[in-house]
Amino acid sequence: MGIIELSKVTVRRGRSQVLDGWSVSIDSGEVVCLSGENGCGKSTVIETAAGLVSMEKGSSEISGQLIRDSEGRRGRTKFGLCLQDDCIMGDELVGERILDAAGCDFDVSSLLKTWGLEHRIHDRVAMLSGGQRRRVAILSGLVPAMVSSEPVAILLDEPDSGLDEDSVEKLAQTIRDLAAGGHAIIVASHNSKIVESADRVIEFPFTETKGDPVKGKFSLLERGVERKANIGHRLNLRTLSGLANNGIAGLLTLGAMLAMLNPEQLEGRTLTAFILAPALTAGLCGNSIHRLTLENRAYAWWNTISAIPPNALFHSLITCGAITVLASTVTGDFDVKLIAAGAVLGACTEAIVGLLSHATLRLSRPNAVMVRLLTPILILPWALVVDTLSV
Amino acid sequence: MRIRGEAVALLGLAGAGLTFWLGMTWAPSVSIDAFKAPEAQRIFYWHVPSAWAAMLAFGMLFIGSIFWFFKRSEWAWRLHVASSEAGLATGLMCVWSGCIWGAAEWGVPWDWTDIRLNTFAMLTLLSLYLVLGRRSQPDGVETRDTFAAFGMYGFVLVPFTYIATRLWQIRHPGPVVATSEGSLNSDMGTVLLIGAISFTVLIIGHVMAGMRLTKLELRLEDLQTRYEEESR
Repeated sequence: MGIIELSKVTVRRGRSQVLDGWSVSIDSGEVVCLSGENGCGKSTVIETAAGLVSMEKGSSEISGQLIRDSEGRRGRTKFGLCLQDDCIMGDELVGERILDAAGCDFDVSSLLKTWGLEHRIHDRVAMLSGGQRRRVAILSGLVPAMVSSEPVAILLDEPDSGLDEDSVEKLAQTIRDLAAGGHAIIVASHNSKIVESADRVIEFPFTETKGDPVKGKFSLLERGVERKANIGHRLNLRTLSGLANNGIAGLLTLGAMLAMLNPEQLEGRTLTAFILAPALTAGLCGNSIHRLTLENRAYAWWNTISAIPPNALFHSLITCGAITVLASTVTGDFDVKLIAAGAVLGACTEAIVGLLSHATLRLSRPNAVMVRLLTPILILPWALVVDTLSV
Repeated sequence: MRIRGEAVALLGLAGAGLTFWLGMTWAPSVSIDAFKAPEAQRIFYWHVPSAWAAMLAFGMLFIGSIFWFFKRSEWAWRLHVASSEAGLATGLMCVWSGCIWGAAEWGVPWDWTDIRLNTFAMLTLLSLYLVLGRRSQPDGVETRDTFAAFGMYGFVLVPFTYIATRLWQIRHPGPVVATSEGSLNSDMGTVLLIGAISFTVLIIGHVMAGMRLTKLELRLEDLQTRYEEESR
């Protein structure tokens, strides 16, 4: 059984059937190149193997682990992925991204040096040129294999696009080196250098030729301690997007209510509603990290790492709690129970809105659907909590 | 002879108009002791049948969503599209008439703590979301799967809405027909029955017409694609 295994896969995209009962198996140490004209289904194969596309029939397995099947079963394992989009948020740091992709600490600066990116190690990806960003995306696809002595699957979709000649050559050489280390690589490309580096070339629609590539030499990068991504919390601290989106909405609500109402005259249900309203508004703004992941289709890459979408839920609890403390202070009614309720309500509301938005990511225009139309229902639990706590 | 959805819908619309007229002029008035605004109670003859029709539409939406999602049936997708539009139309009729009645009877058009009100409004908003969302996306399996999933999960709210006034009656009144606490006056029941039948006919006609329209739209899209391929 191969490291990458697509079994009798049938995939529909848009209104057409792209793959019909197609199978491919890629063994340890093998490089398979997918070639063919635009729209023939190369990217679909890569994304199906990575579990990003739902299939009508068949299954995808990597390193013996089921990644996705037509019954909707999902699984995850370590593999490298570089899609046509860079799939990197602009606020990720170059070095940090490579480490996140590797899943462990290692000497990232020497790796970046060989790819001419060492001086950018602490820069945000948004500050890089298109070519540099592409190199970071490629490295994050290759690095899981570079740090592993066990065979790892590498999926690369047109990695050469936007790269200069030297970088393409380096990429082709790295692919051969990784294959020498026993890693299984599937790459979609038109570039002759990449095609020449393959053991097998599959020309769509499905004529297969054997390649005769030169042998590479694999050198393992020394692994450090395992690394937890926590990308949502790191990004939130770096960008303060939770405060700038959700926090400000809560503060504006509090300010608007103060302009209209005298908090000293409020009592009972109205007072409780006054204290809890800013947290609700903050929550209704949704998961601020979700918005960041829409950049360059970063959510797709992170989806292969973890089933839980990037979030900063712990920060949301703090933000919503702080806003409720502020509202309580203004009214002079300082109740710990209310503050805890505000924090939990705000964070839960934010998580639900985030999940609703996340559910639309398969659409071709996820930004165009008005998912906020579904959020008024969230006022119901808030109103019930207000009723309960004001008794 | 093929029965056209538009004709059925027109028949239902005429029945709905008749219900409205009977409700406003012929149906007996309710006791002034039982209601704060007895005249506003006449909205009931529009409000209840439209809620019934909306529930039928949400049921069809569920069936369409499930059969698309699991069986990939083209008719099911057309049913999904047509019933979400029908659900939006009748849901809005019900919510709007309820707000007017609520403003007269309770003094407020809406109560955010009432579970029946909110879950029903949510179903109507779900229909709005499906209608607007679908228009914003190119047709394809990804679009259909996503909206069918929303249609399936959204249906969870239907039983909630149904039992809401039985389990947690807050402001919205409980059931008035076929209950142990007595039933409606027979004239009132007659108008309500005419309303229920008319709205059922209306919703069936609406869905039939909607399904046919969707079929034509998809056919047009196929022809456009074929034309583009042939002219290459």
